[in-house]
Amino acid sequence: MYQAYIGLEIHIQLLTKSKVFCSCRAQFGDEPNTNVCPVCMGYPGVLPALNEEAVRMGYVVARALNCTLSRRTVFARKNYFYPDMPKNYQISQYDDPIGRDGYIDIEIGGRIKRVRVHEVHLEEDAGKMIHVGDASLCDDNRAGTPLLEIVTEPDMESGEEAEALIQEFRRMVRYLGVCDGNMEEGSLRCDANVSVNEAGKGLGTKVEIKNLNSSRFVRLALDHEIERQKALLEEGRQVVQETRLWNENRDVTESMRTKESAHDYRYFPEPDLPPFVPDEAFFAQVEASLVELPLARKQRFLSDYGISVQQADFLIEEKARADFFEEAVRRGVAPSTAAAWLAGDVAKLLNRYRVELDASPLTMDRFVLLMELLQKGEIHGRIAKQVLSAVFEEDKDPSRIIEEKGWRQLSEEELVKVVDEVITAHPKAVEQVKGGEEKPVGFLMGQVMARTAGRAHPEKTREVLLSRIRGGEG
Amino acid sequence: MDLLDGGAKEETYLSKLKERNGEIGAFLSLDAARGKALSSGDGVLRGLSFGVKDNIAVEGFPLTCASRILQDLVSPYTATAVRRLLEQGAVVVGKTNLDEFGMGSSCDMSALGRTNNPWDLSRVAGGSSGGSAAAVSAGMVPFALGSDTGGSVRQPAAFCGVYGLKPTYGVVSRFGLVAYASSLEVIGAVAMDLDLLETVFEVMRGEDERDHSSLDPEEDECEVRRIAVLTGELGLEAPVARAYERAQEALKDLGFQLVEVGLPELEYAVPAYYTIATAEASANLARYTGIRYGHRPMWSENPQELMRKARSEGFGPEVKLRILLGTFVLRSGFQDRYYHKAQRVRTLIRRSLEQVFSSADVLLMPVFPTLPFPHGEGGLSSFQQKMADRFTTTANLAGVPALAVPVGREEGLPVGVQVMAPPFGEQRLFQVARAYRRVYTPEHPVAYPPLWS
Repeated sequence: MYQAYIGLEIHIQLLTKSKVFCSCRAQFGDEPNTNVCPVCMGYPGVLPALNEEAVRMGYVVARALNCTLSRRTVFARKNYFYPDMPKNYQISQYDDPIGRDGYIDIEIGGRIKRVRVHEVHLEEDAGKMIHVGDASLCDDNRAGTPLLEIVTEPDMESGEEAEALIQEFRRMVRYLGVCDGNMEEGSLRCDANVSVNEAGKGLGTKVEIKNLNSSRFVRLALDHEIERQKALLEEGRQVVQETRLWNENRDVTESMRTKESAHDYRYFPEPDLPPFVPDEAFFAQVEASLVELPLARKQRFLSDYGISVQQADFLIEEKARADFFEEAVRRGVAPSTAAAWLAGDVAKLLNRYRVELDASPLTMDRFVLLMELLQKGEIHGRIAKQVLSAVFEEDKDPSRIIEEKGWRQLSEEELVKVVDEVITAHPKAVEQVKGGEEKPVGFLMGQVMARTAGRAHPEKTREVLLSRIRGGEG
Repeated sequence: MDLLDGGAKEETYLSKLKERNGEIGAFLSLDAARGKALSSGDGVLRGLSFGVKDNIAVEGFPLTCASRILQDLVSPYTATAVRRLLEQGAVVVGKTNLDEFGMGSSCDMSALGRTNNPWDLSRVAGGSSGGSAAAVSAGMVPFALGSDTGGSVRQPAAFCGVYGLKPTYGVVSRFGLVAYASSLEVIGAVAMDLDLLETVFEVMRGEDERDHSSLDPEEDECEVRRIAVLTGELGLEAPVARAYERAQEALKDLGFQLVEVGLPELEYAVPAYYTIATAEASANLARYTGIRYGHRPMWSENPQELMRKARSEGFGPEVKLRILLGTFVLRSGFQDRYYHKAQRVRTLIRRSLEQVFSSADVLLMPVFPTLPFPHGEGGLSSFQQKMADRFTTTANLAGVPALAVPVGREEGLPVGVQVMAPPFGEQRLFQVARAYRRVYTPEHPVAYPPLWS
């Protein structure tokens, strides 16, 4: 029996307005080399000036990961050469990172698993090389954007667990508003360490896998690597300590460099930045930035609102969505109704229009109004669906849509009138119903709907129809 | 002469400046017109010309660090210390020579020009701020900026017979000073006029949001009475030893109380200094790759080769030596043996200076064990020069302020001593220097009267 030990190193780009050591914009996707200055270009004589907002975000994440927060966090120089790293050293942290010894809970197969967090530290990002034909170009827009690195202990055992952790962590940082979590754009990046050994014998030889830019690749690469290492061990061969890359085209990991050519980072304390010593006000700010995290929220939703697991999963995926749900409930919409609509028709429409809830035409007021009309029986379900669809299409209030389209539900009086007309027009069907047949009921209801353009409440129609027919007997 | 007024006097000044620079080689570049355009304000330094060591950034001026690798670099920004001087009306007339990247004690390590000592052109001006000290001594500018990593302001000041101030670490912003050894260095200044030097320091000092290691200390109000002096064999050349003793006698006569102290840690200052300085240098100089700016080789196959060629062609031997040394002492597995041990020595030196300052208000030390030495073969070897840094590196390791004070001449050449004070005790240094001025006033070499008046 073999066991795998997986640890992750996750990098997130913090959503600060400016870079971590200068006042340049920290923005993805701008024209190359437009958000640069002598500081982030590493010009001779410049010095870093620490962006406190980045440090605060770092502390918020460390706190959310249940870390022991550093009372004095120290920066260090990590020396290595790379053409897109302006100073050829990276300002990072080594001995006294922002946080240590935390944990994150993930849900795996309906159970909660706790993965320990080794440390959380802040560093600067490098630029980006662009290779065009036989020329190599360098874009320094990204150089100096604040990166937070989260290192977990090797507590995961499968690709599935690692994927779940990435997803949980991604939700968490989005909830905290410190990172957009976009793996394709590189604002959330992940390297994985994996070793396989016979169960009970502790860690095996560690292999690092780089270049994992989606949570699915994390799972695929790790599962592949675990199988590769198992096969080696079964053949009695040794796993080589090395760095491998995930080749997403061939679905295999490939060797990048071995331990012999590993970096010697020659860390030493950064002389240009004094240690950051947060005061009580800073810690208070950190506490104030915390929010209920997705997993806890899901558990609360399940126990407080009696909704399904699928609905809860859908609602908590985005903080804005979960907030929307709770606000609607606070305004009187029944939790089960709100959940069903948000996870059902609303989700479908958001998907169709490729828009986020908080940017969609469905404002809180419109949603609550629609649900109220439905709950009060002023419109029925099918009309409500039509109205919702029209809200997305026309960006108008439900009441206005109902009025403009004449979708107001028939009053009892109007309904009785139409039902009586239908009964008079179809004596044969009425006779059959009187005789106990069920099928003609549907036919007669269809006639009512046709005459009212669907504005009649189906249940009520049935009720009125039957009572008029049977009432006619008595 | 007010450089901001323009006119015939200014023209004369500039042409003589150029001529004199031909003999001395103090400036690597001269561009008063550009300097005037940068200057503003009607402040305390209005119209005063000054030189800036060519490892300190001034927008639009070269920033060569006397290295081939930066030979063509023009600075896109201005150092905070310089900006503050410009805002008080001072005018940069040019960039002064130095040992490449500030590494050296002669100014002969410059890859871009030779600077001669105005007192004897066959001798070195000292280093690394040799250009600045020579420019002031030769009467070309009233003051000049230097940088002091291990004695780089004080040693050339002593060699050229001018005052040279190394402020407390962090009191003058390092923003714009090209880093050699970040935790040791600070921007300083040289001048012949003590009051002007103090004004320049007061203008430059203070916290800077662009340098998070900068600070704004409280006023030190000590009245200096007791001066610590070193006992025992100091390894000084006879003329330097005579000058050090004479200075002590004079200070005693001026009413100061002398306190004898031993500083056995001085023996370890040089190895500790070179370990820490080169370690930091190896990181600081890693940015010179030829990719973003600076010397780029004619041809290269790939980025790695581009970097290798740029450095191989661009850096001089002393710079290469120090980068390699620094990389070595930081290697994993070697840090405890070298870098961490050096940091412990540094702490030891800081503590023993604290001890000295508990029994005396200032400490009087030699600056350099020899007189200005000849250029080339007849002078000191690179190793001898490093060993001779023991008196000056102490202040950098401890971060304390120190002032080189000209105390007279021996064999026709200037000799200086240095006064050190506890952190932020700059005004104590000026007190002692002012008192000493009653006994000896520094002077320009006869051949080089001031070009301004």
